[in-house]
Amino acid sequence: MAALNQYPMPAPTADLATTWAFLEEGVDHIMTKLQTGVSYSKYMSLYTVAYNYCTSSKMPTNTSSEQSVAGRSGANLMGSDLYNNLIRYFVQHLRHLRDHSDTLQNELLLRYYAGEWDRYTTGANYINRLFTYLNRHWVKRERDEGRKGVYPVYTLALVQWRANFFLHIQGKQSKLAGAILRLIEHQRNGETIDQGLVKKVVDSFVSLGIDETDLNKASLDNYKEHFEIPFLSATEAYYKHESDSFLRENTVSDYLEKSEERLKEEEDRVERYLHTTTRKLLINKCEHVLVRAHAELMWESFQSLLDYDKDEDLQRMYSLLSRIPEGLEPLRRKFEEHVKRAGLAAVAKLVGTDTAAIDALDPKAYVDALLEVHTKSSDTVNRSFKGEAGFVASLDRACREFVNRNAATGVSSSRSPELLAKHADALLRKNNKVAEEGDLEGALNRVMVIFKYLEEKDVFQTFYSTKLSKRLIHGVSASDEAEASMISKLKEACGFEYTNKLQRMFTDMSLSKDLTDSFKERMEQNTMIWTLTSALWCLDGLIVPTDIQLTYDRFQKYYQRSIQGKYILMTSAYQMAVLLQYNTNDTLSLDELAAATNIGKDLLTQVLQPLVKSRILINEETDQYDLNPHFKSKKIRVNLNQPIKAEVKAESTDVLKTVDEDRKYVIQATIVRIMKARKTMKNQPLIQEVISQISQRFTPKIPDIKKAIDTLLEKEYIERVDGTRDTFAYVA
Amino acid sequence: MVLLVTSDNEQFVVDKDVAERSVLIKNMLEDVGESDQPIPLPNVSSSVLKKVLEYCEHHRGERLPTTDSESQDETRKRTTDISEWDQKFISVDQEMLFEIILAANYLDIKPLLDVGCKTVANMIKGKTPEEIRKLFNIVNDFTPEEEAQIKKENEWAEDR
Repeated sequence: MAALNQYPMPAPTADLATTWAFLEEGVDHIMTKLQTGVSYSKYMSLYTVAYNYCTSSKMPTNTSSEQSVAGRSGANLMGSDLYNNLIRYFVQHLRHLRDHSDTLQNELLLRYYAGEWDRYTTGANYINRLFTYLNRHWVKRERDEGRKGVYPVYTLALVQWRANFFLHIQGKQSKLAGAILRLIEHQRNGETIDQGLVKKVVDSFVSLGIDETDLNKASLDNYKEHFEIPFLSATEAYYKHESDSFLRENTVSDYLEKSEERLKEEEDRVERYLHTTTRKLLINKCEHVLVRAHAELMWESFQSLLDYDKDEDLQRMYSLLSRIPEGLEPLRRKFEEHVKRAGLAAVAKLVGTDTAAIDALDPKAYVDALLEVHTKSSDTVNRSFKGEAGFVASLDRACREFVNRNAATGVSSSRSPELLAKHADALLRKNNKVAEEGDLEGALNRVMVIFKYLEEKDVFQTFYSTKLSKRLIHGVSASDEAEASMISKLKEACGFEYTNKLQRMFTDMSLSKDLTDSFKERMEQNTMIWTLTSALWCLDGLIVPTDIQLTYDRFQKYYQRSIQGKYILMTSAYQMAVLLQYNTNDTLSLDELAAATNIGKDLLTQVLQPLVKSRILINEETDQYDLNPHFKSKKIRVNLNQPIKAEVKAESTDVLKTVDEDRKYVIQATIVRIMKARKTMKNQPLIQEVISQISQRFTPKIPDIKKAIDTLLEKEYIERVDGTRDTFAYVA
Repeated sequence: MVLLVTSDNEQFVVDKDVAERSVLIKNMLEDVGESDQPIPLPNVSSSVLKKVLEYCEHHRGERLPTTDSESQDETRKRTTDISEWDQKFISVDQEMLFEIILAANYLDIKPLLDVGCKTVANMIKGKTPEEIRKLFNIVNDFTPEEEAQIKKENEWAEDR
């Protein structure tokens, strides 16, 4: 057959010299002239000759294979001669390349290297398949027996390339890597380079890494040693030089922009032609040279960027400095100071130099000033610092500081809660402009923004409930929905306990309505009378004189009719409530009165006392109160409301007293709660725990806590543990 | 379609996917590219190739064992089972059996090589050295001393 005769091949019994001579011609054809093609018959004959040699049963001629490792246990397999001849071929082939490359430099060298690499690896893939049988048969056996330095043919080709060509060009001056680094430098300088060429050469560095223990695994040793390490140090030097000289001639703002671009470029570089594992090291290196080395300068310029609201620059500075762990903390501190200063300045401006103005401060103006600073700073945090938690915390700390202590508050920690409560009151009143504009909800939300920062939330609560009671009694509340919405906001912020009282005031309102219905029917009049739980309402009967006066008139009429109408009775609100009950009954028990008026029994007894004393009611049997139809008095005007204190003091002072009183109980209750849970506790930790639990509502003073402990010791809720001076135990 | 030419110059036209059961042919077509040149198989005779192609035809379309998957190699080696069709296929005279094994080795058809080797293994199983020599027509070239030595060394394996 012609096809076979075309490539006469050595007989299966041919000796090594004949066999190799035939194979070498084929191998060389494939390694150097593959583009001219290979015919099926040439391919088959090369495979067959290699196969026949490996399967031939003749004993290996040890004289012709001195380089192979002799002295093996077990059966001799044919193959080492072919293997050694292949090595010789590769070495010789590579020596040609080497000689040619010696005269080349830089890009020309890279082009030559890349071209030869392509041709070599393509050829080696062919050879590897042609010598499949050598791989399957001899190489596998050698490796199975643990012999190092024997590789499948393709790997062998790579090993030879590295040893005889790659390492030679790299030499001492890293000629090859140096050429790549120069190209990369050109690119960094803005020139266009052949990225495909760089990629090809860099990839070859990776391919040449061979893991001796597992050939299927890639080893990056060669890439790291010959490329990555010099690349990283070149990068460092380049950017060190560039950033230093850039900063000498440009502003920090320009530098921020430049660095951001550079970092992005380097990320792209990894994508384009480096091994992905280099990304982390490269970016770390760049961050070190571009950011860390100039962090000091950035920190210093931060203030002026803030002062001039340079949002974009702030954003850049943030994202650059967030790359290094220690980068942001100084910014956060400076930002906190900045916001605090802005807040204090805003209030100072509002107050002016006139100290008298402090007392006449408009709550709305005050709250608006605080809000403006907060809104602006909060925008900065969200826009420039991506709402990062550390900056949010700085903002909160700063706001807390200037909201509670500023030119308007002086040393008084209750001033801000008071002003905020007054502002809220103004918002919730009828005829408020904000409400008409329809953004009442938004305004209330803004109140809550400031509320969050109040240290003494209980002061706010007291002021707020006073104001709320007035709104309700005067009927000037803007809307029930708005009131409910505000209360639910407070509840959300401080919990059920905090708004419980406020909520119950609304309950009182509806109860009172029912209660007075009978009175209304009888009197055929339209005035509302409220029966209020005085403990909740912070009112002492006469705080709302006009209302009470109205009621007095009606009440008088009522009394004139029912008890011969001779006297004007001056009563407190709850006394009125009690007397109203006698519209329908002449005799009532204490329980009935309590049920009807919603007044606690203890208080009710106190309320009843002046009534009995003045003999309007008769208390002949225990807990039984009868209306005295024969009531007489020397005076027409009977004042039943005697225990009223002189209440002309400033409202605030009064409120604060209530706050102080409330705080005592809150502290005591907290101590009891803690002690009940812990059973025994030392003084210091107890105080700490109390502070941490209460600080949500206000900041308790240590002497107050000590006083509360003493009170509880007296009341025997807790006792000192025997033999200790500072340990307390809960008394069950 | 590819054209295969045997050592005795007989031509076989077969479907490409049948021919590619041979990893050798598959690799070559991949490397050299397809053309209408005949593919010479200088180590295979027409009678053997006919038999081998019968096997390839029957198993066409099955997944080729991946060359470098060790675990698959292991499971393949462990079982001595031969499928019913393969058993029938390999029921040939001894000379043909060895020719098929050699061709499978040369053409790099691993499953067929396995079938052949397992068959030979099954033939040997349970036989004495003397019986095996007789079976395969092997001349005993050990000296009596050598044979005694080997017997002693392998005593542990004796089935008593």
